[in-house]
Amino acid sequence: MWHGPPSRHVYKPVEDRRLRDLHASTRTSMASTISEYVTLVSCDGFEFIIPRSAACVSGTIRRMLDPSSKFSEAITGRCTLETLTGIVLEKVCEYLLFNEKHKDQANVSDMDIPPELCLELLMAADYLDT
Amino acid sequence: MAAMRARNKIRAPRRGFPSAKTDDFESSWKVLSASLTEINTKNASALSFEEIYRSAYRIVLMMRGDDLYENVKSLEEDWLRNNIQQQVTESISTSLIRPQGVVEMQDQSNERRAAGEKFLSVLKERWEDHQLCMGMITDVLMYMVSGSIATRAGRRSNSPSQDRIISADRTKPSIYVVAMALFRDHVLRAAVRAESETTVYDILESTILFMVQLERNGHIIERPLIRHCIQMLEGLYENMDEEEGAKLYHSMFEPAFLRTSTKFYQGEGKRLLEIGDASTFCRITSQRIAEEQERCRYVLASATETKILHILDDELIRKNIEEVVKLEGTGVRHMLDHNQLDGLRNVYQLNARVDPKKDALVRAINKRIVELGKEINASALTSSQGQALSGKSAEEPKKTEKSKEKPVNQQTVSAIQWVDDILALKRQFDTIWENAFSSDQGLESSIMGSFSDFININPRSSEYLSLFFDENLKKGIKGKTENEVDALLDNGITLLRYIKDKDLFETYYKKHLSRRLLMKRASSMDAERQMISKMKLEVGNQFTQRIEHMFKDMTVSEDLSASYKAHIAQNADPDQKRIDLEINVLTSTMWPMEMMASKEGQVQLPCTFPKEIESLKQSFEKFYLGKHSGRKLSWQAGMGTADIRATFRRASGKTQRYELNVSTYALVILSLFNDLPDSESYTYEEIQGRTSIPEHDLIRNLQSLAVAPKTRVLKKEPMSKDVKPTDRFFFNNEFQSQFVKVRIGVVSGGSNKAENQDQRKDTEKKLAEERGSTIEAALVRIMKQRKKLIHSQLMTEVLAQLSARFVPDVNMVKRRIESLIDREYLERVGEEPPTYGYVA
Repeated sequence: MWHGPPSRHVYKPVEDRRLRDLHASTRTSMASTISEYVTLVSCDGFEFIIPRSAACVSGTIRRMLDPSSKFSEAITGRCTLETLTGIVLEKVCEYLLFNEKHKDQANVSDMDIPPELCLELLMAADYLDT
Repeated sequence: MAAMRARNKIRAPRRGFPSAKTDDFESSWKVLSASLTEINTKNASALSFEEIYRSAYRIVLMMRGDDLYENVKSLEEDWLRNNIQQQVTESISTSLIRPQGVVEMQDQSNERRAAGEKFLSVLKERWEDHQLCMGMITDVLMYMVSGSIATRAGRRSNSPSQDRIISADRTKPSIYVVAMALFRDHVLRAAVRAESETTVYDILESTILFMVQLERNGHIIERPLIRHCIQMLEGLYENMDEEEGAKLYHSMFEPAFLRTSTKFYQGEGKRLLEIGDASTFCRITSQRIAEEQERCRYVLASATETKILHILDDELIRKNIEEVVKLEGTGVRHMLDHNQLDGLRNVYQLNARVDPKKDALVRAINKRIVELGKEINASALTSSQGQALSGKSAEEPKKTEKSKEKPVNQQTVSAIQWVDDILALKRQFDTIWENAFSSDQGLESSIMGSFSDFININPRSSEYLSLFFDENLKKGIKGKTENEVDALLDNGITLLRYIKDKDLFETYYKKHLSRRLLMKRASSMDAERQMISKMKLEVGNQFTQRIEHMFKDMTVSEDLSASYKAHIAQNADPDQKRIDLEINVLTSTMWPMEMMASKEGQVQLPCTFPKEIESLKQSFEKFYLGKHSGRKLSWQAGMGTADIRATFRRASGKTQRYELNVSTYALVILSLFNDLPDSESYTYEEIQGRTSIPEHDLIRNLQSLAVAPKTRVLKKEPMSKDVKPTDRFFFNNEFQSQFVKVRIGVVSGGSNKAENQDQRKDTEKKLAEERGSTIEAALVRIMKQRKKLIHSQLMTEVLAQLSARFVPDVNMVKRRIESLIDREYLERVGEEPPTYGYVA
C-alpha cells in the first residue's frame, strides 16, 4: 500500500463500491465544505482520502472539520496532521475504516497491529482522541 | 533468530518536539493567544485547527495545562471586558435607563421600544458570537480539557499526598462553562454606566418585560429577538454546576416576569369587572389564556407556561368568577334566560379551570332553576285558585268567570300546565347542559338536584304529575304516533325521578288508573302498559307490583263476565227478562281503598238494590263462590254504570223512549220511580231510606238527574242547585233530548280532577298510615336479618331502604320502633349506645 513519498493515495476498502469513481468526485467537491470525502495529510506529505464519516470517529478530526466553526480545515476539507508520519497515519486510516465497517457488529476480531507501531499508535490515538 | 528479534523490536515513539522548556511554553502560548484573538474577531478561516490544537497539545504535554487554562481564562475575560461589554453598554440608550414612570406617553413608549430593540439585537449578536467562539475555542483546546486534566489526574493519583489537588482538578469546570460564566459576570452584570447600580441584566429584564407588556396591549413586537435573549438566559447559569434550576432564566427572569404578570392581571381583572359585562369578561379572559400560552411557547420558555397560567387562573378567574357569575344584567342568570350558549360555555370553561366542582357556576344555575321553578309553582297555584284572583285581575273577567264555574277543572288544567312548564324548563336546561357545559356530570347532578328541590317544594307535585299522565292517557295520545307517545311518557318519567315521595305518586296514580280502567276511559291499553314498564325501570318492581295487579284483575274479570254469561245462557229461565252483567272483580288490597271502603268510623250499609238487580247479584255470587270458595264479595255500586231503557209518557199520550247511560246509583234511584204513580214524589229522605246510598253519592246523583239542564230525568221541588233533605223529586215525563242515547254523567265524579282540600287531607292521612306500615315492615326486615343493631345504624338503614319510595320522617320511624317494642317484635338490649334486638 505504501508507494513511497510523496504521492497521493486513495485508501480504498475493497468492499466499498461507492469508492469506484472516487478520484473524480473528490476533486470536484474539494472546495465545498460538506463533501463526502476528506483528505488527511501526514507530516511527510502522504495524503489519504477517506470517507468523512470514517474520519469523524476521531474527536480531533471531527472538531477540525466541524462546518459551523470556520477553521481552514473545515473550509478546505483537508487536514494536515503534523504529528503523524505516513506509516502511522496509514495504520490510523486502516483503523478508521475498520471501525466504520464493523461499527454495528459485536464480537469483531481485533485488528492486526504490528508490535513495532504500538507506542506510536497509542500516541496518535491520544492525539486524535479516538 | 536474533536478527528477527531485533527487527521486531518495538520502536520507541519518535519525539516530535524537544523536551519542555519555559520559552517553548511562551512561544506556544503566543501562537495560541494570537489565534484565539483571531477567533474572537471572527477571522478563524485563516487559521489551521491543527496548528492551534498542536500548540495546546504541546503545552499540555509540557505539564503546563493549568497555566494554559488560566491564560485562556484571563484572555477571554479581558476580551469580554474590554470589547463586548463596551459594545453592549453603548447600545443602551438613556431612554432605557430612565426609571419607568407609571404613565407612559405614547411617543415615549415608541422611543423606548426602538431603543430596546436595538439593545436586544446587539446583545443577542454578541451572545451568539460568544457562544460560537467559545465553541471553537473549546474544540481547539479539547486536548487540554479532556486529555490533560484527566491524564494528569491519573498520573498524580500515584502519590496519595496529593489527593486534595486531584479532587480540585476534577471539579474544575470546563473552559466553556467558565467562559459562559465570564460572559454573565462581565457583560450581563456589568454596570450600564460608570458609578451606576443598574446592570445590563436589569436593562435586559425591564426591556423584555416592557416588550411583553406592549404585546399584551395589542402591539406587535419582534418575537424572535426576544426569544433569542430568553434563550441566552436559559443558556447561562448561576453557578458552574449547570443545574436546571440555576439557569439565569429561572433564577432571575422568570420570577420578575411572574411578578409583573400578577400585577398586570390584577389590574386587568379589576378593569374587566368595571366594564361589567360577563360575556366580555369571559371572552377576554379566554383570549388572554390563549395569548399567554402562545407567548410561553414561542417567546418565553415552555416551563413557564404552567406558572403563568396558574397566575391567570388565580388573578383573573378565581378572584373574579364569583362576581362575574353574579353580574347584574349580564351574568349567568342573564345568559340562562337568553339562552346564550357561547357565554355559558365560556363561563363553564373558565370556572372548570380553577375549580373542578365549578361551585360559582353551579350555585348560580341552581339558584336560577329554583327561582324559575318557584315561579312555575306559584303560577300553578294562582291559576288553580282562580277565584281568589277574580277580584284583583280585571283584565281577565272571562277567565275568572269560567274558573268560578269549574274551579276543580281549572285545577286540573293548571296541574297539567305545571307539568308542561317544568318539562319545557327541563328541556331548556338540557340543551344548555349539552351544548355549553360539555355534558359535565357534576353539573348534571346539580341541575337534577335543583329540579328535584323546587318540584318537592310544591306539595302537590305528585298529584299534578299523576294528573298529567291521566290526562294524556285519556285524551292526549289520541292520534299520536308511538314515538310521540313514548317521548311524552318519558318526559313524565323524568319528572317522576325528581319526586321524593314516590308513594304519594303511586297513590294518586292508582286512584286515577282505577278510574280509567273501571270507567273505560283509557284510550290505549298499550300506552298504559308501556307506562307501567317505564315506571318499573325507573322506580323498581315493588312500586309497580300493585298497579300490575290491577291490570291482571281487569283481564280476569273480562273472562269471568264472559263465562258467567255463558253459564246464564245455559241455566237460566229463558222467559225471564235478562240483565246483562259485566263485572269487575277487584282484589281489595291492590286497588285504592277509599273508593270502596266506607269512611272511617261510620258503618256503611250496603246499598239496597231493586229486586231484579238483587237477584242478578245473588245469581252471580252463587256462580262466583262456586268457582272460588272462601272468598268474600262486596259490591261497589259507586263505580258502576248501567244502560237502561226509559219510557216517557208525554202529556199528549205519546210515548218516547230513550236509552239512558247512568251510574249504578242512578239506576237504583230511577228504578224507585218505576213503581210510583206519575203525580207522586219522593223526598230526599225517602230516597235515602229506601236505597241506603251514601249521602255524598246520593246528592251527586240526584244533582245530575234533576239539576243538570240537559239530563233532567227527574223534577225537583223547589228548583234550586242544592239538594236539601226536604226536597221532593218527581219523574219528569217531559224529558227531551235530541239523541236517543243519553249519557248522564255524575257531577264531578266521572273524571279525574285535582283534589279539593278535604280530599287532600284524606289522602295524606291514608298515606301516613301506609307509610307507617311500610316503615314497620322495613324495620322488621332489617332487624330479622341483623338480630341486633345500634339505634343510629338502624335509622340509616331504614332511611336508605325507604328513600326509593319516600323520605321518611325521623320521628315517625322512632314512634314505629317504640310501637314494635310494645308489641314485642323488638326489644331493647343495651342503653349506651341504644341497641335493639329482634324477638323471634
